[in-house]
Amino acid sequence: MTLRKLQVTKRMKQIMAGYYLMGHQAEDVAWVTSGAPVEILYSMDVYPAYPENHGALIGATKMGSHFSEFAERRGYSRDLCSYARSDLGCIFANRSPIGGLPKPKFLFACNNICNTVVKWYEVVSKIFKVPVFVLDVPFVRKDLKESYINYVEDQIYEFIQFTEKITQKKFSDENFRKTLKKSLKAVRLYSEILKMGKHKPSPITCFDAFINMAPIVCLRGTDYAISFYKEMRDEVLNRIKNNEAAVEDEKLRLLWDNIPIWYRLGWLADFFASRNVCLVADTYTNAWTSFLTRRKDVRGLAEIYTVIYLNIGIERMAEFINKLSEEYDADGIVMHSNRSCKRYSFGQYEIQKMIKIPSVVIDADMTDQRSFSEAQVETRLEAFLEMLT
Amino acid sequence: MKIGYFCTFTPREIIRAAGFSPIRIFPDPSKASLSTAFIQSYSCSQARGCLDKILNKEIKLDAAVFVRTCDTMIKLADIWEFCTEMKTYSIEFPTKINKSTESFYFTELKDFIRVLERWGGEITLKSLKESINLYMKLEHKLRKLFSDGADYEALMRVEKLDVEKAVEYLEKRIGKIDGDDGKRVLITGSVCPFPELFKTIEKVGFKIKDDTCTGTRSFLFSYPRMDIRSINDGIMYIVRKYYSKAPCPTKHYENDLRFRYLLEMSKDCEGVIFLLLKFCESHFFDYPQLKEILEKNGKKTLLIELEFPIASIEQIRTRIEAFYEMLQ
Repeated sequence: MTLRKLQVTKRMKQIMAGYYLMGHQAEDVAWVTSGAPVEILYSMDVYPAYPENHGALIGATKMGSHFSEFAERRGYSRDLCSYARSDLGCIFANRSPIGGLPKPKFLFACNNICNTVVKWYEVVSKIFKVPVFVLDVPFVRKDLKESYINYVEDQIYEFIQFTEKITQKKFSDENFRKTLKKSLKAVRLYSEILKMGKHKPSPITCFDAFINMAPIVCLRGTDYAISFYKEMRDEVLNRIKNNEAAVEDEKLRLLWDNIPIWYRLGWLADFFASRNVCLVADTYTNAWTSFLTRRKDVRGLAEIYTVIYLNIGIERMAEFINKLSEEYDADGIVMHSNRSCKRYSFGQYEIQKMIKIPSVVIDADMTDQRSFSEAQVETRLEAFLEMLT
Repeated sequence: MKIGYFCTFTPREIIRAAGFSPIRIFPDPSKASLSTAFIQSYSCSQARGCLDKILNKEIKLDAAVFVRTCDTMIKLADIWEFCTEMKTYSIEFPTKINKSTESFYFTELKDFIRVLERWGGEITLKSLKESINLYMKLEHKLRKLFSDGADYEALMRVEKLDVEKAVEYLEKRIGKIDGDDGKRVLITGSVCPFPELFKTIEKVGFKIKDDTCTGTRSFLFSYPRMDIRSINDGIMYIVRKYYSKAPCPTKHYENDLRFRYLLEMSKDCEGVIFLLLKFCESHFFDYPQLKEILEKNGKKTLLIELEFPIASIEQIRTRIEAFYEMLQ
């Protein structure tokens, strides 16, 4: 095999098993979207469960279509987001690869990643008869307006009151600052690891980043994320020291755009590695590296959660890809046109024209394997690689 | 200057008060598909159809104003700016409709006015009040028109006309359509700018009560009681007016407003037809639970999934006929 796998992934699996177990023992559970300011919840000792992460896990275990069908039988259209369909399917089936998510006391939907989560959480709110708090984040098409940050900041304070009322727990400024500090530390470490992909040959691939991203999503703000990413950083650093490449005889360096095709991660990783191609960075995991601020207060939180990658206009997205391609010295980019994520995928055709590196679009879905055509993807990728070499 | 808009949350009063003409953009029944080079095929045909209309040069506009609703429209605004030569602006209408978000929307509208001024417009207290009154007059007339029976043809025409001409047109139109009796059916759904489809439903024997984006959701408001003594008063009036618009699934309301609204609306109807545009997430997420509640309340329902241009109206007719018979 020409692809070198990271040892630390075993540790990630243990940590995540612990995280899921914790959920079933927690007193207060909230279901949270991946781009929501989770630091508030951790600081108030509320356990955040992530339906999107659960969806990714269902996808990775190749059960996306199976669970989606439970939702489709109840009338949920196959054109809806497959994270939502497979998660809802698990609720209806009363099982999942990890035994289902713990029942929520309330829901926290932040639409900085998409408007889909608002509708999805409205459905869940009716199923469990629990309240949902929507953190409404304006879309930053051009420049970030002061009024946007004010709006988000005000709502975060409202959310604190909402959580206090439901959990009967008091928000503490001190706890919040401590949690935010931990969150920023984990984000810095994760960012440091991803940046190691700049090294030639790269010690990691974006598949390593995908597989090991669960702690930055779910455990941001805890010590678990910090200790895990320290371990991961050390392992990757060691590779650099020993001049070990993730992909043997690296000949081409590419970027990846959009959410991974979870049920085909292994297939894609092998496809590229066997052709000496390393996917050195991606726009998806890099979204979490922007969660950095100098301010250690609620306003700082409002700022970082407003300008995340999925909440900016396509010109800014193209700028970001250009920056990545320069920093990582990438030869091209593979764009996953993801049927389940309109927010991420629409605009890709325009971005292709704005960026400085060659690109290819492959059509698929992040969780639902029924929308994947191996022959079509293979042909397109082969042609693209041929063009680059 | 002609300014195109798509969404019924667009503050047309402000556009007109600035001296511009707001014109709603609808997809045409043509089959041209230049838009597929710019947006994926899993976008709704409202988005693709509107873009096609511009790319095919079927309509000439100087600018386009988007209002935040669903993910597709958020991204279409970006794409629009890139692939047309029109000035493009997007207003961040809050997703969360409640008292605490009003002041943010007020600020957004102030920003929008500055953009219109940059485009050469000018808003005075007089022009704003006049525009507010004209639109209220138009909406009253539309309410009257639809109380006799849904008249989609007239509504489509009105949304492409200047508001003054639209009021004149409606004055002549009201009372001209027959309010035939039939089985009352509630049609709830996305946009459907093809009046012939509704005519098909009526011909089967139904009398339509409407809750679509190209029907009552474009003109049913509660009007705030406030004196408008300044431009700021006028803007706040518009904020509150649009916050009270007939509920739309792209927004998040308190206390399940939309479901309660539709339950109430369906009370005097024998059945409910969901007329949903393929790929419309906002509607399709609501559909299963809404259907369940309506059926629990004794209403029979039918789902018709649409794509523009409508491929087979005959197929739809057969389904409507079967539904009609089921209600006998």
